[in-house]
Amino acid sequence: MPDPLLTVDDLAVAYDSAVQALRGVSLRVDSGSVVAVLGSNGAGKTTLLRAISRSLHSVNGAVTGGSIHFEGRNLAQRDASQMVRAGIVQVPEGRRIFRDLTVEENLRVGGCTVRDKRARKEAYDRVFDLFPALAERRDARGGLLSGGQQQMLAMGRALMASPKLLLLDEPSLGLAPQMVEQIGDIIEQIHAQGTSVLLIEQNAAMGLRVADHAYVLEVGAITASGPSAELAATDEIRDRYLGVGSTSPQRTAAVKEPIDVPVHLQRPSRKAQQLRVEDLTVRFGGLTALSNVSFTVEAGTIHALIGPNGAGKSTCINVLGGAYRATSGTVHYGDSKVTALPSHRIAGLGVARSFQNISLSLEATVEDNLLVGRHRLMHAGTVMQALRLPRARKEERAERETVHRIAALLDIERLLGHEVHALSYGDRKRVEMGRALAAEPTLLLLDEPVAGMAHGESMAMADAIRAVQQELRLSILLVEHDMPFVMGLAERITVLDFGKRIAEGSPQDVQQDPEVLRAYLGTAAA
Amino acid sequence: MTYFLTQLANGLSYGLILGLIAVGFVIVFTSTGVLNFAHGSVLLSGAYLVASLQGPIGFWAAAAVGVVGAAVLGVLINALLVRNLAEANPGTAAILMLGVDIVLLTELTRRIGNNVLSIGAPWGADVVSVGGITLPTSRVVAAGLAIVVFGLLWFLFARTGAGIAMRAAAADSDTAAMMGVRPSRTGAAGWALAGALAAVAGIFLASFPAPGVAPTLALSSFAAIPAWVLGGFDSVVGAIVSGLIIGVVTALAVGYEAELHFLGRGLGEVVPYAVMILVLLVRPSGLFGRKEAVRV
Repeated sequence: MPDPLLTVDDLAVAYDSAVQALRGVSLRVDSGSVVAVLGSNGAGKTTLLRAISRSLHSVNGAVTGGSIHFEGRNLAQRDASQMVRAGIVQVPEGRRIFRDLTVEENLRVGGCTVRDKRARKEAYDRVFDLFPALAERRDARGGLLSGGQQQMLAMGRALMASPKLLLLDEPSLGLAPQMVEQIGDIIEQIHAQGTSVLLIEQNAAMGLRVADHAYVLEVGAITASGPSAELAATDEIRDRYLGVGSTSPQRTAAVKEPIDVPVHLQRPSRKAQQLRVEDLTVRFGGLTALSNVSFTVEAGTIHALIGPNGAGKSTCINVLGGAYRATSGTVHYGDSKVTALPSHRIAGLGVARSFQNISLSLEATVEDNLLVGRHRLMHAGTVMQALRLPRARKEERAERETVHRIAALLDIERLLGHEVHALSYGDRKRVEMGRALAAEPTLLLLDEPVAGMAHGESMAMADAIRAVQQELRLSILLVEHDMPFVMGLAERITVLDFGKRIAEGSPQDVQQDPEVLRAYLGTAAA
Repeated sequence: MTYFLTQLANGLSYGLILGLIAVGFVIVFTSTGVLNFAHGSVLLSGAYLVASLQGPIGFWAAAAVGVVGAAVLGVLINALLVRNLAEANPGTAAILMLGVDIVLLTELTRRIGNNVLSIGAPWGADVVSVGGITLPTSRVVAAGLAIVVFGLLWFLFARTGAGIAMRAAAADSDTAAMMGVRPSRTGAAGWALAGALAAVAGIFLASFPAPGVAPTLALSSFAAIPAWVLGGFDSVVGAIVSGLIIGVVTALAVGYEAELHFLGRGLGEVVPYAVMILVLLVRPSGLFGRKEAVRV
C-alpha cells in the first residue's frame, strides 16, 4: 500500500459551537491519487475541505474532534496560509477569484508563497499551458471572465503554488456540459503531472470519472466508499447521484406524477402575459454579449435558455430584470416595454428574479430574506410598522405565514430561523428562489436554480418549480446547465452561443439539433 | 489672474499633502477594516519625533527616524490592540481608535505643552517665485515628494508581489489566506505604510507657512477625512484625487473669503465638508468607490 498523503481520522466539526456539521469522518488520500467526495447539498462536503485547508474559522466553524495528518504531520495548530506552504491548496467553492485583479495578478497571488523566481516562471508556463484561454486574457480583469474561464483561473491560481495536494470544491458548478468535460480532462492532466487531488463534486458522473477512489458523504457522515468503478456500479449511487437521465437526457415528467403540494399561495391578482424579446443586442465596451436575439415566452409556460458559458444567458436575464440596459432591441411584457423601465418598475409589472451569483443578505435570517421579497406587496408604511399599530402587526403576521408556506414549498421551512451565511450553496439557491416567489410574480426569471444540487435534489426542485408554476399559473424563464433538469421541465428551449440564437424548439428538437450538439451538449448527449 | 493661479498652486500643493494622509486612511481600512481615527495622533507623533531630534542629529536623520517611528507606532497599534479585539467589528475598532487617539494626544500635549517646536527643515521660510506666482518652498518640495511617493505606491500595488497580495487580501481576505497570503503581514504592512505617509505629511504641515509642531497639528489630519470619504473609502486613487479637490476648494475659499463674505467667516474649514456632502448626494459611494467589474 502506498504511503497516505492525507489521512482524516474520526473528524468532527461544529459551526457556532452548536451546529454539528461533520461526525466521525475518516478518509485517506494516497500519494498520486484522485479522490472524490460525493454527496448532496448540505452534506458537509465544503466543511470537510475547509477543515483540511484550515480555513474554517472565517465561517465560524471549528474542529471539535478527531485529527488530520498531512505527510504524517498533525495539522491541528496550522492556519490557512501555512497550509499553502505545507503543500495543500484549496480552490474554493464558487471560484472566489479576485474580480478587480487581472488574470495575471490573480495568478501572482496564487504564487505568492513561491520564493524561487525560476520555479515561479515554470509555474506560470505550466498554468498557461494547461489553460491557453487564460494566456489570451492575461490582462483582463478576473470579474469580466466567463464562468468557465473563472473556474480555470481559480484552478490555475491554486496550481501556481505547485501543491502536493489540490483540494477542489465543486469545479463543475455552473458550467456547461462541454466545459465540465474539459475541466474533467484538466483534472486528469493535473493528476498526470503528479499532483494528488481531493475533489468534491455534485456532478457525480464527473467526479467518478476522474477519481480512483470515492467517498459518499451524507448528513455529516461517510456512508459509502470504495474504488470509483465499484461505487458507480452500485444501485444506490446510480439512483441518487448519477440519475437515469444524466447520460441521456429524458423528460422526467413522464416518470413522476406531478406531486401534490399541500400549500396554497395567494394567486396573483394579475395574469401572466406574453414576454417578447425582439432583436435584443447588448454591448459592453467593445464586447458584444448579445446580438439580435429574439424569442417569445408564452404566458403561463416554462421556457429555458441554455448555451455554453459566456453565451450571454445571464446577460439576457439581466436585461429582462432591468440590471443591464439593452444597446438596441426591445423587450415587451404584455403591453409594457420592459427595456424602457428602471428595475423597480419592472418588479412592479410582476417580474421577479433569482441571481446566478447568489445575492442574499448574509447576516439576516432566511425568514427576513423572504420577507424582503414581500416588500412590494406590503401596505403598512414605515411609521405604522415602527409604532406596531394593530393593522401593521396583523399584516406582519399574515406575511410571515405566507413566507412559511413558500418555505414549505421549497423544503426550506426548517431553515427559516438560520442566518444565510450558515447555509450551504444549494440551500441559498432555494432561499433566492423563495425570495423571488415571495413577490408573487407573474413572470419568474431563474438564473441557474439548481446549480450546486445533486441529481436527486435537482429533480425535487424541478417538481417544486412545476408545482409552483401550475399553482400560480406564472411564466418561468430559466437559465440552467443541468440538462436532465432542463429537458424534464421546460416546454420550450432557446439555445444561445456567442451571443446569438442558434436554435429554438421543444426539448426533443433541441436535443437532436446538430448545431446544439456541437456547440453545447457535446458527447454528454450522445 | 496671478492671484488666482497662486491660490490654485497653493491648493494643489496642500491637496497633495492631504492626499498623503487620506491614502493612509484608505490603506488601513482596506488592509484591516479599521476606521483609523488615531491617524491624526500618529501623524503628530511622527512630526514630534522629527522636531525633537532635528537639533541633536540633524533634520534628515530626524526625518528618517520620524517616518520609521510613525510606521512602527502604526504597526504596534495594530499588533497590540486591533488584532487582539475579541470581536473585530468596524464599530468597536473605530471606538478603540478614538481611545488610542485621546491617549496619544494627551501624552504628546503633555510633552509639547504650549510650545511650538520648529521642524528645522532646510527650506525654512524660503519662497519660490515663478512668473508672478509665489509659493513657500516647503510646498513645492511637498508637492514633488508627494508625486514621487504616489508613483512608488503605484509601483508597489501594481508591480510587486507584496502589493498585489495586499490588494487580494483587501478584496477577499478569506480566499487570499487560502492562497497563502498572511493576513497578519498585509495588515502590518498597511499600518506601516499609513504611519510613514502620515509622518511625511506631518513634516510638511509643520513647515512654513505653519509655525511648527503643536498639538493642533493632529487636527489637521481631520481635513483629510472628507477627502477619504469623497474618494470612496477604499480607493487609493480616489483619495489622491479627492485630496486635490479638497485642497484646491479650501485654498480658493480662503483666498477669496473677502468676496465670499456673505457666507460668513471661516469658510475654509467648512468647505471640505460641504463639497463632500454635495458629491455624496450625487454619488453615494464616493467618486471612486468600489464599483467592481461584475457579471451579475
